[in-house]
Amino acid sequence: MTTNISFLLNGDKISYEIKDHWTLLHLLREEMGLIGTKEGCGNGECGACTVIVDKLAVNSCLYLAIDVDGASIETIEGLASTNGTLHPLQQSFVDKGGIQCGFCSPGMIMSSKALLDENPRANHEQIKHALAGNICRCTGYVQILESVEAARDKGGQNE
Amino acid sequence: MRLPRFKYLGPETLDQALDLLNTHKDDAKILAGGTDLLVRMKKGLLKPKALISLKALNELSYIKKQDGYIKIGARTPLADIIASDLIQKEARALFQACEKIGAVTIQHYRGTIGGNILQDNRCHHYNQSDFHRSGRQACHKDGGKICYAREEADRCNSTCQSDGATALMALGAGIILAQKGGKRTVDLTDFYTTDGIMPHAMESHELLKEIIIPVQGGQSAYHRLAYRSAIDYPIVCAGVFLKPSQKNEIADARIVVGAMSRSPLFLAQASSSLKGKKLNDTYAFKKAADVSMDSAATFAVHNVGATLEYRCAMVSQMVIQALEQAAAAIKA
Repeated sequence: MTTNISFLLNGDKISYEIKDHWTLLHLLREEMGLIGTKEGCGNGECGACTVIVDKLAVNSCLYLAIDVDGASIETIEGLASTNGTLHPLQQSFVDKGGIQCGFCSPGMIMSSKALLDENPRANHEQIKHALAGNICRCTGYVQILESVEAARDKGGQNE
Repeated sequence: MRLPRFKYLGPETLDQALDLLNTHKDDAKILAGGTDLLVRMKKGLLKPKALISLKALNELSYIKKQDGYIKIGARTPLADIIASDLIQKEARALFQACEKIGAVTIQHYRGTIGGNILQDNRCHHYNQSDFHRSGRQACHKDGGKICYAREEADRCNSTCQSDGATALMALGAGIILAQKGGKRTVDLTDFYTTDGIMPHAMESHELLKEIIIPVQGGQSAYHRLAYRSAIDYPIVCAGVFLKPSQKNEIADARIVVGAMSRSPLFLAQASSSLKGKKLNDTYAFKKAADVSMDSAATFAVHNVGATLEYRCAMVSQMVIQALEQAAAAIKA
């Protein structure tokens, strides 16, 4: 069973023929080759697959592709500008050591972006709250929180 | 992990959804947020041929106060319940429970209250991948005749780990089940069957439409224990409701303990022991908590992570803390 859906992906209009049982994660990674979004547990526990759908951070492993028809999706690939300049969040993850092994970073960054887009002055507790669904197995959570706070303090501008 | 193939059905109205459900019955499952259903399908625990999505049914997403009840549409996202002033003030246990489900940014936007209370029972021997389960004989819940959680058990001992169910049962809530051409109201204490394999008294052509919480003029509280503050299911939890009399005594009390048995446990003996006691009678609270622990411990098996001894010992802590919170809310 296939269905034609159209959606905005990082600002580009996309039409795609999908199968009913595909998850959004499958569509992004396996079909479109956007492998920045990671598959960790596949059960909605780890948050590695977090993407932003209509301004809300969601687990793409538990989001059916068919449900994104008409939605606007942001993935980690859409953050850096076309000339290669990193998004302030990405830059501060590099600068502050939040990146570590890198596997959870796309999810961490997308959860943080959804938070800072909604509340650019989020405090420490609000950041912890927003990132509670993202697991880092390097367990370097302090650097990750520092990275998000640094990006917040820069107000979305790179130095 | 891949999802098995299925047909996606997207009804536009409740009547269409009920028609589809009536046609497909056992072959179809209702898809609300999918945060429980899709995980079970990935693990091969459920193999529906079709999913009936409630995505377009905005008529099932509301929170309102009407005719002495707080009424919540079954498809209301957890995020909406947490943000509701009405729930925070008049059904605080439900607010506290929903706040703890899954993780904040991620599952609250997808997860729904209906899905939370209709989630199937769990057991760490059963909720495993196809591959894991293929290496041994099937358990009761998987269609076999063995229980890995309790030796020689003649029935399934899976555990109901729903936060929402425990809180709502403490609030004395009921649910409205719709089917083609009719509906019925069921009290939550009757809805949970204490059967591990079929934990809900619900037919395959029925759909959860609404949750109704009577407004009784008391205060409720919910307290849970889990390994992590987010993501995890509770390993033991308690929901309580206290109604004060004119003389600051307890006129009515309800104590419900969750994540200890095949259904949330409404503990009648512990609850009635509080009647007529003062709101600041900590000795009575302690005694009710101890009775709760004794009652709940008889049902528990070692199947959701922490050791049985620890979970049983923590029942009284959960109950006493919930009672103290509810009493403090009445005084405030």
